[in-house]
Amino acid sequence: MDINNIQKIVEDDGIIFLSYGGYLSQVLISGMTEALEKEAEDNDLSIGSSSNIFTIFIELSQNMMNYSKSINEKETGIKPQGLILVAKDKDLNYYIHSQNIVSQADKDKIEPKLAEISSLDRDGLKKKYRELRKSGAHTHEKGGGIGFYEIAKKCDSIEYAFTPINNDRYYFHIKTNIMTKKEQ
Amino acid sequence: MQNLKLEATKYTPEINLDPSGTISLVGKSYPENTFEFYAPMMEWLEEYFNGNAADTTVVNMEIIYFNSSSSKLFFDFFDLLDENASENKIEINWIYDEENESAEEAGEDFIEDFEDLNIKLVQK
Repeated sequence: MDINNIQKIVEDDGIIFLSYGGYLSQVLISGMTEALEKEAEDNDLSIGSSSNIFTIFIELSQNMMNYSKSINEKETGIKPQGLILVAKDKDLNYYIHSQNIVSQADKDKIEPKLAEISSLDRDGLKKKYRELRKSGAHTHEKGGGIGFYEIAKKCDSIEYAFTPINNDRYYFHIKTNIMTKKEQ
Repeated sequence: MQNLKLEATKYTPEINLDPSGTISLVGKSYPENTFEFYAPMMEWLEEYFNGNAADTTVVNMEIIYFNSSSSKLFFDFFDLLDENASENKIEINWIYDEENESAEEAGEDFIEDFEDLNIKLVQK
């Protein structure tokens, strides 16, 4: 492991606020959110932009904590781990990346949602979010099934990719962009 | 009926349910198991509206940011208030910082979803 690889990422892709890879727990997520709050304060981010960043960060991290799978396709249980990164560029655009391992079944569930989200404009997204929240159609034990819609509402763009690992596992990468200087 | 008071944590709001007619939630909301965390509050409310409610119930909600399962839970919370709104006087204040557009928008969405509820947006 060469630490200069990380240095290079920092120089190429802007300033990295926070990066973490490994086991995820609620306490850890909350601690990292606290670090983000400190960063937001130091950088004079508006409450609006910073709470969007916190919400997306929490949503992505809790997703990984609740749904990540092991790379070993024979293990069906949850393996709460993943990679998360918060960065900004010199124009004060913020990026939050996350990557974790999902199963084929997870991919089949997530991909149509993300495809639908990409096809919707702002109003369409808002409408769909409220429809789903009201109907509880996707509600399950851990949530309302509206997490990706929540993320989409709070950022300016989403990119995602599924990279196959083996027969039943994929790396699921999602990148969200939050522009903090929209009015200019 | 007893008060139900929960101190705020790093990821849950301060909750204060007072049978004299004040209900308040202040802070952040992203529990690990949202429905489980809020179950005592929902049960308290069921009991409160089951013949124990004050003449006027004032609900103050000041949630800085929240995860999507909390959003669903708040919807269910408003739904419960809505079910009891015809027989009870309920006033709801959705309190947000003037710079927090997301919180403002969330309040507006609830107003649109619950036309019969008296929800006021209150800018701090």
